[in-house]
Amino acid sequence: MMKRRFWLMLLVLFMGTMFLAACGGDSEETASPNDHETDSDVEGEEDTDGATDDNTEVNSLVIGVGADMASFDIHNHNATNTEAIHINIFSYLVVRDGDGGFDGYLAESFENVDETTWRFVLREGVQFHNGEELTAEDVKFTLDRVRTDETLIEHNNFNQIAEVNILGDYEFEIITEGPEPILLNRLSKIGAGILPKNYIEEEGWDHFLSNPIGTGPFKFNEWRRDDRVVLERFDNYFGGDVTEWEEVVFRVIPESSTRVNELLTGGIQIAENVPPAEWDRVNNNEGTSIVSGPTTRVMLLTLKQEEQYATSDIRVRQAIDYAINNQAITEHVLAGKGTPIQSRVTPGSTGAHPDLYDVYNFDQEKARALLEEAGYGDGLEITFNSPQGRYMMDTEVAELIRGMLSEVGITANLEFMEWSNFVDMHSNGTNEEMYLVGLGNSMFDAALGMTSFHSRAAHRSGYANPELDALLDAAETNMDPEERHELYLEAQEIVVRDMPFVFLYQVENISGITDGIDYEPSVDELIYIPNINRN
Amino acid sequence: MGRYLIRRVLQVIPVLLIISFIVFALVYMAGDPVSLMLPEEASQEEIDSLREALGLNDPLHVQYGVYIINALQGDFGKSYRYNQDALSIVLERLPQTLELAIVSMIFATIIAIPLGIWSASKQNSYIDLIATGASVLGKAMPNFWLGIMLILLLSVNLAIFPVSGRGTLMHIVLPAITLGTAIAAEMTRLIRSNMIEIMQQDYVRTAKSKGQKDSIVTYRHAFKNCLIPVVTIMALQTSGLIGGALVTEVVFAWPGMGQLLVQAVNARDMAIVQACVFVIAVAVILMNLLADIIYRMIDPRIKYE
Repeated sequence: MMKRRFWLMLLVLFMGTMFLAACGGDSEETASPNDHETDSDVEGEEDTDGATDDNTEVNSLVIGVGADMASFDIHNHNATNTEAIHINIFSYLVVRDGDGGFDGYLAESFENVDETTWRFVLREGVQFHNGEELTAEDVKFTLDRVRTDETLIEHNNFNQIAEVNILGDYEFEIITEGPEPILLNRLSKIGAGILPKNYIEEEGWDHFLSNPIGTGPFKFNEWRRDDRVVLERFDNYFGGDVTEWEEVVFRVIPESSTRVNELLTGGIQIAENVPPAEWDRVNNNEGTSIVSGPTTRVMLLTLKQEEQYATSDIRVRQAIDYAINNQAITEHVLAGKGTPIQSRVTPGSTGAHPDLYDVYNFDQEKARALLEEAGYGDGLEITFNSPQGRYMMDTEVAELIRGMLSEVGITANLEFMEWSNFVDMHSNGTNEEMYLVGLGNSMFDAALGMTSFHSRAAHRSGYANPELDALLDAAETNMDPEERHELYLEAQEIVVRDMPFVFLYQVENISGITDGIDYEPSVDELIYIPNINRN
Repeated sequence: MGRYLIRRVLQVIPVLLIISFIVFALVYMAGDPVSLMLPEEASQEEIDSLREALGLNDPLHVQYGVYIINALQGDFGKSYRYNQDALSIVLERLPQTLELAIVSMIFATIIAIPLGIWSASKQNSYIDLIATGASVLGKAMPNFWLGIMLILLLSVNLAIFPVSGRGTLMHIVLPAITLGTAIAAEMTRLIRSNMIEIMQQDYVRTAKSKGQKDSIVTYRHAFKNCLIPVVTIMALQTSGLIGGALVTEVVFAWPGMGQLLVQAVNARDMAIVQACVFVIAVAVILMNLLADIIYRMIDPRIKYE
């Protein structure tokens, strides 16, 4: 009897081990698909075929996104992923031309009449999705709502507008509180889509939120929260026949490995935000690949310059900068998906400094010498905070920086923080010597990028330079584009000299796509469907 | 019975009040949602003005007072993220979560009852040992891992089931197996040990000695008597499934309450967190009440004073 039980136990143990080993094999495949290339090839072919079959009838495009959109209240959210969908439904008055300038969109023409007055002429014949025509009344209604209601999240980006005056059915002027050189930037970002006045007034705001209409190339069809947003092509779009897709589905798939699995099996044609751990799996699978594009987000180290911290000494800050090899971070941790930078203003934004892009300082000897000079020849200990899982590879980047600092004699005590605690620290300025953060620039203008260095924002870094404040103040109200540009170039040079932050690199946006789809992630992180085509 | 039910329902009120306070205090202590609502590059003025506009500068007791008065009227406030009534957002997700919970429970029951009875009646046989091994494994495997493995094996490699989402019947299979496995494991163990104990009781021996068929002895005489702990476990697990399918819902992109709750906690969307916890608490209380009623149906000796 005892003997029989022993053998039975052994059998069960064996089976259990086999099961675990089989499952373990799967996870290995996830980590390094190179070893299983043949498997992946076969899989890819089948999957791609499947995807095409599914979509020939309706001609629909399915995009996997990481988080659901927030709302159809375009004035009360601050989420790029929400705007990424809205951009297909609602249209702006003007759009960025990608070179720091602007093109008319709903506006046929626009001019800056004097320091505080802008005059716009709307295109005629622009239709909302319910067939009503767009007029200056709609523009006034939209801008009045966001500039007057203080509880709206976007209020602060539009309260510079003092009034909107209607001059005719298609003509209106915007009066600003003071000189507002970046008004057009404000009119081409989150919150600037034009809403249908009559529709909202007749049906009510709540009805609008569940049945939104705009003037964009796609109209709303369905929103199943945390599941999908479905849009349908609007055939009377004022821009004409701009897209081949009849239907677009944004599927919410929060877990990135699930998003990639959906891409590999043809469930979606584009997977947004694919983390580096999954790149090989996507690239090695036949029929899918990774694509990337730059963003305005810059990763940087904020350094505290209040007297009690060693980082108040510029030599220590410079030593940190010289100790870090930016190129090594972008190449080895990010697989080349990032570019070293020495400013917060990225190329393509107004006021970007051409000499501060794709450059960095790295000289360990110099770093040691600077520390010695500052009196820390025997070593220096600082606190280093970093979020975990917020930015691409942030954990690895922070650890690499700690390693690089230790090589020159700086012991950085690295503390990883949960995002909501991190944000508290960041917004209240309760940080110590150093923390890693990524800052975007949704305005595509140096004005927003440079606010971090004004003494108004000094609670995070303790940095204040009256000379810089004067330059920034002047640029903020200067209506001459060329003069502004020069002021911002000078301001960025001062920042490089004073080094309140150590700049690391420009972040890239990574997506996975199915072969046959022509898509490049755009710099503003929006997903404008007419830009996505079949090859 | 009627009086008992009324008393049980009245007991719910203080429980819900206490839960509401704990949840409110925890979310309040967790910090300020405004900094999460605005991007990293927002200025201090923007943060301050939004905080003031949302009434977040009021002291704790004032905020709690406002909250509880509204909550009594079924108003948990507006979600910051969705800018919509929180309770309705949560209730919108409830059917999806219930659907998944029920299917998982059916899956677990279908596996556990025959397996438990079988391994009890064939104690120490191969079947019993395999069932025991499988139960230990089923209970020990973390949900998220099992889910990801099932996707890789059955969706990516074998292409039998869709990877994620909700829609057809096929969509529910993998998440239901993921959630049901651990429950099936626990129920199998419970049924087995109860059955073994009951099978040694005098009345079972009497039934057997009367010459009753084995199946009648096992199912009619013995199994019915081991149902009370099984019902308890099912009730507890179902309420657990309603509130606790967080990870599984995220892995399978299942648009239920679990996913909503995870996102709300991350974004400190207090209204949603409170409404979710309220709904889950009600579900737990209801399931326990249901279990009590079923006890009486199974075992007439149980009386409610």
